[in-house]
Amino acid sequence: MASGTSIRESAKEMRRLKNEPLLLLAIVAIILFVGFFVVYPVVRVITFPSLQDYAQLFGKARWFKAVKNSLYMTLISTLSCTAVAFLFAYVIARLDVPCKGLFRFVTLLPIVSPPFIVALSYILLFGVQGIVTKGLLGLQVDIYGRLGLWIVQTVTFFPYAYSVIYGVIRSISTNLEYAAYNMGATRWQVFRDVFFPLCRPGIAGGALIAAINVLTDFGNPMMIGGDLALLPTEAYMQISGWYDMKTASVLAVALLVPAIAIFLVNRFWVGKRSYVTITGKEISLNPFPVPQWVKWGLFSLTMLISLFILLVYGTLCYGAFTKAWGYDWSFTLENIQYVFLKGRQIWNSIRYGLLSSLGAAFLAMVLAYIVQKKQVGLNKALDFLAILPGAIPGMFLGIGFVMAFNGKPLELTGTSTIMVLALLFWNIPTCYSAATAGLQQIGNSVEDAALNLGANSFRSFKDVIIPLLKAPFLSGFVLSFLRSVTCLSVVIFLYAPSTTVGTISVMVLVQSGQWGEAAAFTMILIAIAFSVLRLAQYVLGKQGIKLEL
Amino acid sequence: MDCFIEFKNVVKRFDNFVALDHVSLQIPKGSFVTLLGPSGCGKTTLMRQLAGFSEPEEGDVLVNGKRMNGLPPFKRNTPLVFQEYALFPHMTVYENISYGLKLNKTPKEEMDKRVAEMLEMFNLVGLEKRFPKQMSGGQQQRVAFARALVMGQEILLLDEPLSNLDAKLRVEVRTELRQLQQKLGITTIYVTHDQDEALSMSDIIAVMKGGRIEQIGSPWEIYFRPVNRFVADFVGTVNFLAGKVLRAEGKTLVIDYSGMELRVPGEVDAGPGEAVTLVVRPECIHLAGPGEVISGGAVLDGAIENYSFLGRIIRYWVRVGQELFVIDDANVDLAGARTGAVKLCLDARKLHILKDGGGHAAS
Repeated sequence: MASGTSIRESAKEMRRLKNEPLLLLAIVAIILFVGFFVVYPVVRVITFPSLQDYAQLFGKARWFKAVKNSLYMTLISTLSCTAVAFLFAYVIARLDVPCKGLFRFVTLLPIVSPPFIVALSYILLFGVQGIVTKGLLGLQVDIYGRLGLWIVQTVTFFPYAYSVIYGVIRSISTNLEYAAYNMGATRWQVFRDVFFPLCRPGIAGGALIAAINVLTDFGNPMMIGGDLALLPTEAYMQISGWYDMKTASVLAVALLVPAIAIFLVNRFWVGKRSYVTITGKEISLNPFPVPQWVKWGLFSLTMLISLFILLVYGTLCYGAFTKAWGYDWSFTLENIQYVFLKGRQIWNSIRYGLLSSLGAAFLAMVLAYIVQKKQVGLNKALDFLAILPGAIPGMFLGIGFVMAFNGKPLELTGTSTIMVLALLFWNIPTCYSAATAGLQQIGNSVEDAALNLGANSFRSFKDVIIPLLKAPFLSGFVLSFLRSVTCLSVVIFLYAPSTTVGTISVMVLVQSGQWGEAAAFTMILIAIAFSVLRLAQYVLGKQGIKLEL
Repeated sequence: MDCFIEFKNVVKRFDNFVALDHVSLQIPKGSFVTLLGPSGCGKTTLMRQLAGFSEPEEGDVLVNGKRMNGLPPFKRNTPLVFQEYALFPHMTVYENISYGLKLNKTPKEEMDKRVAEMLEMFNLVGLEKRFPKQMSGGQQQRVAFARALVMGQEILLLDEPLSNLDAKLRVEVRTELRQLQQKLGITTIYVTHDQDEALSMSDIIAVMKGGRIEQIGSPWEIYFRPVNRFVADFVGTVNFLAGKVLRAEGKTLVIDYSGMELRVPGEVDAGPGEAVTLVVRPECIHLAGPGEVISGGAVLDGAIENYSFLGRIIRYWVRVGQELFVIDDANVDLAGARTGAVKLCLDARKLHILKDGGGHAAS
């Protein structure tokens, strides 16, 4: 609540900035940058169509259907993602079963992969030329559409919900459950009355993360959605097919509204409902054992899903080395060679990924430092600016960049710069939350201690703050690199022939039915992403720091 | 004694909240001074004015006659041990302790020598290469002391440094700390809300409340001669008795307390008929059985309502008429606690008079 006093305090703090010109400069620069590269494109998209254009959304049956379909898919995929995520989180955190390493690996795979990879593999498995449908069963089925998309989105996005739910389950002290047993509760009552209610904030948070990903997913519907009209794909068709920016903007705004709603609910409602208190001193007992049949039942289910995911990736690998999927199953290296012929696109992926992540990590670090450690009277506003891009669907940002920077004041269409800038601002929230988490670990008195021992502000920043922020900086950097290399939705609207990246090539290859080349391309992208992840984990591991994803 | 550190009329406000309200305090060289008070009383704020983490709006902070106002913290050489230690998590024990020396460009040899001394002094030999998170709380705390003391042995600031230790270790460390301080003659300022720590370690205690110093004195004076009810009540447990001055007899006041005449020593400016409060500590009242013969002093008849066995003493709550006395009995009978009717013997020499009037309020 902004009461009179708090506004006066803010004003007082802002006046104090006169004495710290460097800080003031940084703040002004950040506001201008974020304003120009995030707020301005968003405003352009929203204000471009007229009210009559917006009315089409309800008037035209196809658009209205797209809205309905998008919301429907979001609902069912979110439910299934959350259920699978809860299963994995519970089994990994609470059950004494083998193969946990495998389960963890399975939850990591989709995060380091391009978002459409599951769709691609699904086509290879069950499509017209699918190894299961055609090769084994000799069937001719139509897998495109609602059911296929549902399965694919569940596998693709459950890991995002998993990481939130797992974090919450891990932080629930088993002592609380023992306390309930001690008071005479049965296993089921403990689960229903104690464990599950404590998980609820995690489940809600995980579900909302999954929902926002499903809602704004572009790659999977593009490949496997078939005739199913969805907002992101329809918007893309309007631009690529008809160059109808007005309709595309209307559809994009229709996507933005629920996305922002989910984002706000997650931030301000779920965020405040967490029961987790970290004391660090509490010693938790081992979880109370569950009955054997429950344990092995859950284990089998988890294993089944894990095997399916491994099958997805195995198929892709197989496809990458197969001559002509569905016709000629013989081994070949041609697909891999083909990727190397298109080395420029891979190089673009890496280059844009590195530059944008470096920029995002740096900008986010400065922002987080100011918001966390300085009282500048604008802390809340800066915090909002930093997380704002997280509420904007990737494709919306893409369309925004197209519209904002295709003419004065800044023309960037078709350049590498626009690709880097779009990815950079898209990644700021990722880096910002890593940096914020890192800074919150550093007590205020650590910086005071350095001053007290004779370090001036510069020395204390250099000797204390920077080394302590190395880990969050790197983890933000790596995460956004992974996101950039595997990103399709933002760049699909911005690329030119010379700035094409790997993910776009895969999409084009899939659309023209070149499965083998598409699989090979995807494998290389995953290999790059995984190598960078492992390298960062190794470097940080040597310093005793665990990279959190 | 010569004054080494001085706060002169220091005022500090946070918006409308007055954190320090014209605070003045003189600290002699080599003394151990404790700032004692409840949370929010301004004790940490006062210390931070000296360390330079915050600047007073009015008044001066002097060290050895030199005005410190406006000097940034890194130029003050006022080593501080932080409540949560604030060790640099990315530096080893050696690096933590030597950091300040590195900053003032101490030659490597001397640095090694001084760090080695500290490691020796704080029992940290062999742990030089450890990182803070690889050590226990007690070890971390010793590193924090070493890091501060290596900077010189003129001034040491301690901000509740023992509050994160368990009870037993806390008692041990406070004895060691006091011995070390006396051996090295460091002028020490200690911030705490723990009265036991304050009483057991200090040369001088400044009791603070609401941004003001209520009383400055030796632990003895603070405990037995509090200047007001707040100090009496905050430091230790106390019985307040409402009395009335009958007359003065030289340096003794004759006080009427529930019909008895108590001859209380002390120069209090109170005329006949004036209401006063008598302060008496629980251990200053003697308990006797109904049949025991008592020589001298005032005797009250009471009945035990409740007791709590604390090992070295038994604390009794004794009802006398409308009032409930708290009495600590160190003369424990191995057979068990007293029950029923008792006699309370008040030794007038152990009473202290407060002029501000008021009734009984045992706490």
